[in-house]
Amino acid sequence: MSRASILNAVKKNKPDLLPLPEIDLDVFSENIDLVKTFIGNVEFVGGRAIQLGSVENIDSEIKNLYPNATKIVSCTRDSNLGTISISKNTNPHGLETIDLAIVKGELAVAENGAVWISENDLTIRVLPFITNDLILIVNKEDIHLHMHSAYKAISKRDRTFGLFLSGPSKTADIEQCLVIGAQGAISLTVLIV
Amino acid sequence: MKVGLFIPCYINQLYPQVGIATLELLEKLGVDVDYPMGQTCCGQPLGNSGYEDDSKGICQLFVENFKTYDYIVGPSGSCVYHVKKHFDILEQTEDVKRVRKNTYELCQFIHDVLGKTHLGASFPYKVGIHKSCHGLRGLRLGSCSERMDTHYSTEEDLLKNVKGLELKTLKRVDECCGFGGTFSVFEEAISVKMGNDRIRDHIDSDVQVITGADHSCLMHLEGLINRNKQPLKVMHIAEILNSSI
Amino acid sequence: MAHADEAALFNKDESKVDWHDKALWFVRQKRDKSAHKVKGWETLRDLASAIKANVMSNLDNYLVQFEENAQKNGVTVHWAADAEEHNKIVHSILQQTNVKKVVKSKSMLTEECHLNPYLEANGIEVVDTDLGERIVQLAKEVPSHIVLPAIHKTKEEVDVLFQKHLGTKPSNGDPQYLTNEARKHLRDKFLKADAAITGVNFAVADTGGIVVCTNEGNADMGAHLAKVHIACMGMEKLIPQEKHLGIFLRLLARSATGQPITTYSSHFNKPAPGTEMHIVIVDNGRTEQLNREDFRASLHCIRCGACMNTCPIYRRSGGHSYKATIPGPIGSILSPGKDLTKHSDLPFASTLCGSCSDVCPVKINIHEQLYKWRQVIVKDVPQPVVKKTVLKIAGRVLANSKMYGFAGKSARFILKHAPRFVTYSKFNAWGEARDLPEVKDDNFDTWYKKRQKHE
Repeated sequence: MSRASILNAVKKNKPDLLPLPEIDLDVFSENIDLVKTFIGNVEFVGGRAIQLGSVENIDSEIKNLYPNATKIVSCTRDSNLGTISISKNTNPHGLETIDLAIVKGELAVAENGAVWISENDLTIRVLPFITNDLILIVNKEDIHLHMHSAYKAISKRDRTFGLFLSGPSKTADIEQCLVIGAQGAISLTVLIV
Repeated sequence: MKVGLFIPCYINQLYPQVGIATLELLEKLGVDVDYPMGQTCCGQPLGNSGYEDDSKGICQLFVENFKTYDYIVGPSGSCVYHVKKHFDILEQTEDVKRVRKNTYELCQFIHDVLGKTHLGASFPYKVGIHKSCHGLRGLRLGSCSERMDTHYSTEEDLLKNVKGLELKTLKRVDECCGFGGTFSVFEEAISVKMGNDRIRDHIDSDVQVITGADHSCLMHLEGLINRNKQPLKVMHIAEILNSSI
Repeated sequence: MAHADEAALFNKDESKVDWHDKALWFVRQKRDKSAHKVKGWETLRDLASAIKANVMSNLDNYLVQFEENAQKNGVTVHWAADAEEHNKIVHSILQQTNVKKVVKSKSMLTEECHLNPYLEANGIEVVDTDLGERIVQLAKEVPSHIVLPAIHKTKEEVDVLFQKHLGTKPSNGDPQYLTNEARKHLRDKFLKADAAITGVNFAVADTGGIVVCTNEGNADMGAHLAKVHIACMGMEKLIPQEKHLGIFLRLLARSATGQPITTYSSHFNKPAPGTEMHIVIVDNGRTEQLNREDFRASLHCIRCGACMNTCPIYRRSGGHSYKATIPGPIGSILSPGKDLTKHSDLPFASTLCGSCSDVCPVKINIHEQLYKWRQVIVKDVPQPVVKKTVLKIAGRVLANSKMYGFAGKSARFILKHAPRFVTYSKFNAWGEARDLPEVKDDNFDTWYKKRQKHE
């Protein structure tokens, strides 16, 4: 193990201590419509965001959007459409044939259309990637202006696994042509309630 | 206020008309200008090639020639940048510090020190600006496209007030022309390609005259234009600002 | 072959150069638009730069703090002094867990360490799962760009490649079809892999967590399906606190592709139940670079690739012309630190235009470091005799007013009176494609003296 020699070399070679900067968040504050900005950014990153009148409308909206989905995993009480139930012991490989996953996001970020979801919301980590289509549900009060505010909101969580997810899986690796649906979910719909 | 006129070596030898226009323009603006004989070069060709240490004598001579002036003004952004930025290799005596601080590119001197933008020139042509990199990103003669600052441009401010002049907007407003000193010969293929791409942008933007505050870029572009017999003229900004056509 | 020769070769096909230039300039424009939308963009850059400077000045303590926290989370932390040790560590983890098939997401560090050939030589299948990386892997090439590994390939070339290796139908390079086929091909690899290797975009000292960013979801598909996750990171990837991710994630994707954030920004803190997670911290020359005051800031790099997209030389010479794992401007200040002689041409493959420094999200003074490397190289690496002599003589002549006056006159005399075949010979690279300036009768000195007399 080279641990000691590396750390010694760093100690010897590093410059004198430089201070961490103060972060003044006022520089980044903006008075904008968070829901509207969020919806615009979800569309910009290739997803779709729909504002619903109430939680009761969720299932009819989903049926409307994905009429052919049969293998559905719902990880939230907000939707009763789940046809396959999963637990922490489910083999992730078994999720390969899932058509649709419905997950409640903890918060969202207006500036980039991202939704924060963590292992608690997912049950199985691979779910939002391996599913063919993905639906995320967020409360409109949980939309934050920017990432600084979002990180503040998740700072007290139990840290296992979590992610900011913005739009469907995509690539532009072939001649810079944007193609939606690379290795992860091929579509993303965010329902705002 | 006494100004020492700094005419870079290649302008002195190859483009005397640029030096003349610079001098006449400054005098027209009521500046007391002196041209110290015996000046040579700022040392940039050596520094950029890695031979900074061998240029110390050149830099020292520059300081000796100009140390008594209130301002040192030259029509070449990259040379001025070299004095301000790279004379850190000299011992920082009071003379060296003063010379570095008071050396100005021509447009910057007129715009920022004299505070003038209406120079009484007229030049009835369609003009495109080549913003030299050392002037733009070194001396910050204007905002560059990479940074998210409010737009400003020293050269545009001056040219917009030239009677009859129509300023054209390019597709790539501040891409490098590919001169780069010895880069132009050691990386000849890319240098030429970059220059040709810049010229194409000017032609496509309906430009008749390419101008700029750095004649080394212009020398490169002119060399290509003349070789390819393209319908464009190249003039230093001092020549335009000194025009009364 | 030196960069200039490679670049000249690349420029033999002007339409390909134009195509390459436009593709990357398009990315640069997307970056501009995206950055324009952020209030306080320049403040973000200042903060990111200052945070990274703090990291470098306290790196040993942050590393220890990170290790402690990661271990508390149930992650195994390994330390590698160089590429060889890194490869051995990865291989031994795979051996201990009986792994035969590995999926790997994008990691410039494993490229730098040449991990794939090492593992392959040891009988392990490694599949790169980023589409661009998979393309270059199938083509037996190396990435020509750190974010867009296959940017040098046309869609028709990818079509032919996939026909050969994935059995696809000819499609005239239809990106949608080719991507779908790659998706199927890679799905199979993900499901069969025993271990996943990923890079690390950020390692957070105060939580012991790592963040991995992708657009395709390939890092997550690999890491969450396999029993073993190995994350390989250069030691400079650390940031002090989780809240600093707010700054870096706002900058990274916007600078890289113009997206407001990558599709997936995954925060790995603890391994999932029943799985293993390993982090390999790699030095491989970084502590040496940390010791070089003038070049230390090159370690601030967050690998966004913006300096490549903006570089007018990179766009017209292609990433492979640099002959380095990391091409382009940032590579040209990193590589000489690894092997000065081998990479001594790279700091000269620049006009010092400075666009790279102004586009850099962490404000690395790239073009100033290129200038500084040049000063080091002419002292430490043998230089062409002609270039060296000419410049040394110039140094003496230009430091002497009288000698300069004489030299100036002679040079102008030669330019004016020598026959064209002399001034435009093959020894004059200037004159190959450019005319020389027309020489006037007087230089400025002479004109000025005459004017003084008349006054």
